[in-house]
Amino acid sequence: MTCTKTLCQECATQWDGIWHCAACLAVKRGAKVERSPLFSWIAVVLITAAMLFGGARLMVWTAAVLAGLFS
Amino acid sequence: MTAAPWAGLLVATTLPYRFLQALFFDQLVEVRTEAAQYGNLLGGTANMIVAAIVIALWGRAVYARACRLAMGRGATPGREVWRVPAAALVSFFLTSSVVLLVGYLSVFTCLGLWVAAMFAGLAIGTMELNERVSVLEPFRLIGRYAKPMILLGMAFVFFCGLFVALVNLAAAFGLGVWALSAIGGFDVPHWELLFTPGNRRFVLMLVAGAFVAIEPFWVAAHVVFVRKAGAQERGDDLRAWFEELRRTA
Repeated sequence: MTCTKTLCQECATQWDGIWHCAACLAVKRGAKVERSPLFSWIAVVLITAAMLFGGARLMVWTAAVLAGLFS
Repeated sequence: MTAAPWAGLLVATTLPYRFLQALFFDQLVEVRTEAAQYGNLLGGTANMIVAAIVIALWGRAVYARACRLAMGRGATPGREVWRVPAAALVSFFLTSSVVLLVGYLSVFTCLGLWVAAMFAGLAIGTMELNERVSVLEPFRLIGRYAKPMILLGMAFVFFCGLFVALVNLAAAFGLGVWALSAIGGFDVPHWELLFTPGNRRFVLMLVAGAFVAIEPFWVAAHVVFVRKAGAQERGDDLRAWFEELRRTA
């Protein structure tokens, strides 16, 4: 519960796995959904793609070095 | 236990990743010192692994959501499990790709791998707390919930669990071959040669299988850890405890 009030099971409603009272649900429904800026999306996607690409290269490099060490 | 049906999805999405990893190690052992000359072969498998990681991470995210919903309700969640918030999923991909890089960089150190394992656990545990897409916020969240001793303890427990799973899988294969030898019509003598510790590929597949077997428990443990830590911060655990005391009094 967002307001931390203690309610009985009948007075609480579950939304997305979390129990809310009627007042908290009304606030949630009326709240403006804040969207993440486009720049953040682009930055996160690009960084993730770069990390995954780098990860594949690093995997091969690490494997080659390890194989050389244990020969 | 209530999220158990969703563990099937996690296993199905993780299998290609783990088996490709086993294939990569197999190829590495095959080429040994000449690994540097087989860059294209190893690079091709590495690219496939990275593609499989994306699917495995998605499966992990769905299962983590199922665990969180099951924990809140005490019942098996339904179709809403599929609706992983995009911001949480993208943040999880970001933190996991960093774990991947850190893991491979620190493979030469003993401590680095443990740190990477703890970081990966927190990445899945805190995934759903990311409500907005940000480059730094997922790492701040991970830092907030980082309790090194507890996480190290959990990593150690799952490290031991890996060996238990490995032994159980090996025993299950042995039992299967022994049971099938009684039926006949199969080339069981050949199987007995294949399913032995002397067969490198069999051992690698067992290790991959052990990782797949413990992953649902590992994900669930970290989701519960982060939720409990959050409840402690807000005082929800105390409130629930007082309620319980009042009920029993």
